[in-house]
Amino acid sequence: MPTNLNFEMARSLVGFTVLLLFLSICESASFFQPISDSHRSAAVELFSPDHGSLKSLEETYEALRTFDVLGIEKKPDVTATACRLVSETVGSSSSTLKNVFYALKANSIVKCKINDKAYQGIITRLNAAVDGASSLPDFYYSVGGLVLVKGSKGDVHLADADGIFRSVKAFRQSDGRWRSSSSNPESSAFAAGIALETLAGVVSLASPELDQSLISTLNNDISKLFDSIEKYDDGALYFDDKLVDGHDHQGPLATTSSVVRGLTAFAAVTDERLNIPSNKILGLANFFLGIGVPGDAKDLFNQIDSLACLESNRVSIPLILSLPSTVLSVTKEDLLQVNVNTVLGSNAPPLTVKLVGVFTSGSKAASLVESQELLFDDGTGMYNLKNLPKSIDVGSYTFVFEIVLHELEHEKIYITGGQKKVPIFVSGLIKIENAEIAVLDSDLGSIETQKKLDLAGQNAVSLSANHLQKLRVSFKLTTPHGLAFKPHQALLKLRHESKVEHIFVVGNSGKQFEIVLNFLGLVEKFFYLSGRYDIELAVGDAVMENSLLLAIGHIELDLPEPPEKATRPPPQPVDPYSRYGPKAEITHIFRAPEKRPPKELSLAFLGLTFLPLLGFLIGLLLLGVNLKNFPSNAVPATFATLFHVSIGAVLSLYVLFWLKLDLFQTLKLLGFLGVILVLVGHRVLSHLASTSAKLKSA
Amino acid sequence: MGKLWLICIASISILLPFLCNAFSPETPTDRRVLVLLDDFAIMSSHSLYFNALKSRGFDLEFKLADDPKIALQRYGQYLYDALILFCPSVERFGGSIDVAAIVNFVDSGHDLIVAADVNASDLIREVGTECGVDFDEDPSAMVIDHIGYAVSGTEGDHTLIASDDFIKSDVILGGKKIEAPILFRGIGHAVSPANSLVLKVLSASPSAYSANPKSKLSTPPPLTGSAISLVSIVQARNNARLLITGSLSMFSNRFFRSGVQKAGSQTKHEKSGNEQFLTEISKWIFHERGHLKAVNVKHHRVGETDEPALYRINDELEYAVEIYEWSGTSWEPYVANDVQLQFYMMSPYVLKTLSSDKKGLYSTSFKVPDVYGVFQFKVEHQKLGYTSLSLSKQIPVRPYRHNEYERFIPAAYPYYGAAFSMMAGFFIFSFAHLYSK
Repeated sequence: MPTNLNFEMARSLVGFTVLLLFLSICESASFFQPISDSHRSAAVELFSPDHGSLKSLEETYEALRTFDVLGIEKKPDVTATACRLVSETVGSSSSTLKNVFYALKANSIVKCKINDKAYQGIITRLNAAVDGASSLPDFYYSVGGLVLVKGSKGDVHLADADGIFRSVKAFRQSDGRWRSSSSNPESSAFAAGIALETLAGVVSLASPELDQSLISTLNNDISKLFDSIEKYDDGALYFDDKLVDGHDHQGPLATTSSVVRGLTAFAAVTDERLNIPSNKILGLANFFLGIGVPGDAKDLFNQIDSLACLESNRVSIPLILSLPSTVLSVTKEDLLQVNVNTVLGSNAPPLTVKLVGVFTSGSKAASLVESQELLFDDGTGMYNLKNLPKSIDVGSYTFVFEIVLHELEHEKIYITGGQKKVPIFVSGLIKIENAEIAVLDSDLGSIETQKKLDLAGQNAVSLSANHLQKLRVSFKLTTPHGLAFKPHQALLKLRHESKVEHIFVVGNSGKQFEIVLNFLGLVEKFFYLSGRYDIELAVGDAVMENSLLLAIGHIELDLPEPPEKATRPPPQPVDPYSRYGPKAEITHIFRAPEKRPPKELSLAFLGLTFLPLLGFLIGLLLLGVNLKNFPSNAVPATFATLFHVSIGAVLSLYVLFWLKLDLFQTLKLLGFLGVILVLVGHRVLSHLASTSAKLKSA
Repeated sequence: MGKLWLICIASISILLPFLCNAFSPETPTDRRVLVLLDDFAIMSSHSLYFNALKSRGFDLEFKLADDPKIALQRYGQYLYDALILFCPSVERFGGSIDVAAIVNFVDSGHDLIVAADVNASDLIREVGTECGVDFDEDPSAMVIDHIGYAVSGTEGDHTLIASDDFIKSDVILGGKKIEAPILFRGIGHAVSPANSLVLKVLSASPSAYSANPKSKLSTPPPLTGSAISLVSIVQARNNARLLITGSLSMFSNRFFRSGVQKAGSQTKHEKSGNEQFLTEISKWIFHERGHLKAVNVKHHRVGETDEPALYRINDELEYAVEIYEWSGTSWEPYVANDVQLQFYMMSPYVLKTLSSDKKGLYSTSFKVPDVYGVFQFKVEHQKLGYTSLSLSKQIPVRPYRHNEYERFIPAAYPYYGAAFSMMAGFFIFSFAHLYSK
């Protein structure tokens, strides 16, 4: 059994200061819209089985409650799952008190069939739990469970209601906050809400009426609790527990939601009127509406459940004034429509909406219109202002509305929040006239060229000027009511070919807007860049329906040459698409092979090289060469033969060298052959020499 | 048992810092993101965006920006893979985080998402400056567009902009076209033209300008037209990816769910493009797209399979590399037709586009140039939105050996013929000379 208050919202451990964000999102709309269809679609999305919720009974109850409040058709599978879970929990005696409580809560919505026996078992169990309870959650679950059983069965009573009331009240602290158990010293507003809801249950279950004095002391505690309420700038009020220990910290939404539940439950059972200023209730409603559409199932449940509590509470029911549109067009003659609803968007009681005044934003002048009533349109259920008052021209205004209830009794039940300021933009078509562009001579101011411009259509002006001349652009703006109009954006842009841009604000005197660019003073600013400048004019305002951005044309500027120390124009951004992408392919150019003659030619010359050999052979034959000198003796003849074989071998070696051998192999063999050749050659030659010497001597 | 348990815990806590590192091709999953908020309310109001991240497996840790306990690293190890700064108004970060810590975080390859807003603090502006963008210096300036605003019944000051000027890149914005304009409300920034790493993803329209909507415009606005960037991305040289925008509300559930109609256009979109745009871009930021890796670089002579230690000039060679892209769950083949190979020595001698088999394998073949020296195979793949691939491998190229030249040149046959006829003549002459009478 949990003893501290982190029992039911463990998921939203975190703080929830929503409005800061909300304000940053829609600063201009500081009024609140009631619950709309966007909540419904968000609820269907968030509370769906495939979104991961609906796992526990608590989540199932939250889904059912949210669907119920928003009027979403319950999906059969959700109902069936819920009933299965409910009957399982109710039937089992081992289920926890918390689960029984949520099962009964879910049952109060889906109305499953639970037999009397099971009910009896639960009643006994809950009664025992009430008696044995020692912490606030225990009381909350058991008493809450009994209240729910009473809702469906009817005959449930608390015997010792006074005693239980007192023991719950023991958790109260002097500042109006409550502790969750006697062992936990921290008090919180979250626990206060739980306690109030429990006590409301005790009051409704008490069979003899409770002592009224007990209830009235509680009334004081509630007032004290509301003293600690916190406030946002836009009027939203909320509770927040500033706990040092972050773990059971619930965050403003859960805390405020708990207080609202407790407060409304308590207000429903007590006959006394609670002493709470009704505008605090409105502030709480504003807080819940200001959240917008939460993105978390738990937050959405807290928001919707609290708003449902506020919708029908007995203290005061907030009425929300909202406008479907805060941008009105005088040209289209838009109706000013105002909606007054309860927080959940249902109809308000009969009432009148008054337009108290209209003020120009940011000025403290008196109201522009008389106070008047808005007409109720039955068809749309909205309050309309037929025509915008004549005194309202385009611009931004603050409209002040007031809700007046028709019946006096209603003023006790409902809270309207007094005067309501709504910022409204009134837009319209602005008339543009007398637009022209001219090039002036500097010294005389005489007009050299002047062109009319049609700012509603296409223009392609082409001008040329040098640095001694001036460019003048002028136009006139009037509102639909014929007054001077000053747009927020009146810019003239000159863009050089190299993308260097120069922007000038076009000033005005009354309706007439005029800018004169004296190029002599601007040469340095223009970085001495001569050439073509494109001219663009932008006129725009939030309330100008025909805001324009127009390319007027171009001007050829002839500026002097830059001096040496002139500043360079700033670098312009490079197009990211051109920075990447494949590069051009490179193929290597190989060295061209040497030019060679055709093979036939080489072969022909090869043939020619053999001709001298042929001639030599023929010459030898003609000379009558013979081998008569060949040694006739066996030994010299052998040597001679060897000698010539050796010569032949050496020559053959040369052929082999050419064909396959390398230099080293060749030299090796040549060395070997050379020795033989020398030896043999020496013998042969000496033999021949001696023979010839003999012949001579002989 | 108890001891074992202790040891287990201790070893996990020792290992944990090593497990969380920047995006790396080895362990691309396991991504922890620190989200710093101004206010926990943002968790609920921006839950659609966070849920989209969570559903893709990111482990988001939400902290207040001024929480004194936050830290990006402990014992020299980063605790997170990415950082989301949804805290436009924070004046000083809590804990050990400051601008220098964030810059170091990015410098070590981690990703960053920064959302500024109107009245952004100097600190967030400084972070922006470090990322290479300059927010408008006027603290109350907003981007205003009187022509491209989003039509709305309740917002009349034209600061809610419907922008559809996207960067043209499928890898950044996903293959599916974003039909609906993007809702934007916030401050504009300019990207420095000198910084080639910053890209404008969403630009303002030419009619936009950045000014305080509540005060009169007396001096020309510092930022105008398409030069205003609404959303910018940075891909650092270490492949860290950054997203910078001047609007926190564009991430909000309200803008995600809101319908949008651009002024002057008749089409009303049921839902703004914010969800698609920001989800797709977050896929890019968190490397689920456009992160490439190259493996199995191979090269060999045509007809062989082994990689040689060096090539000879004029060899025919084949080069192949496999390139994959991380899809968030697995490495998918990267399909492109502009991956190029350079055969490089001081300057590219050969630059060739690799042909792809659509399954990630890129290959080509070419002839080694007839210049010898130490070359490199270089693949420098830089494409908009993709991480840059830079592979290089050194390979020497040698000239012909002496015996590798041509041996029997027909043009030289006359010389051979002359030599051999000379030798034949000599042989005959030796007989004639010695033995003739």
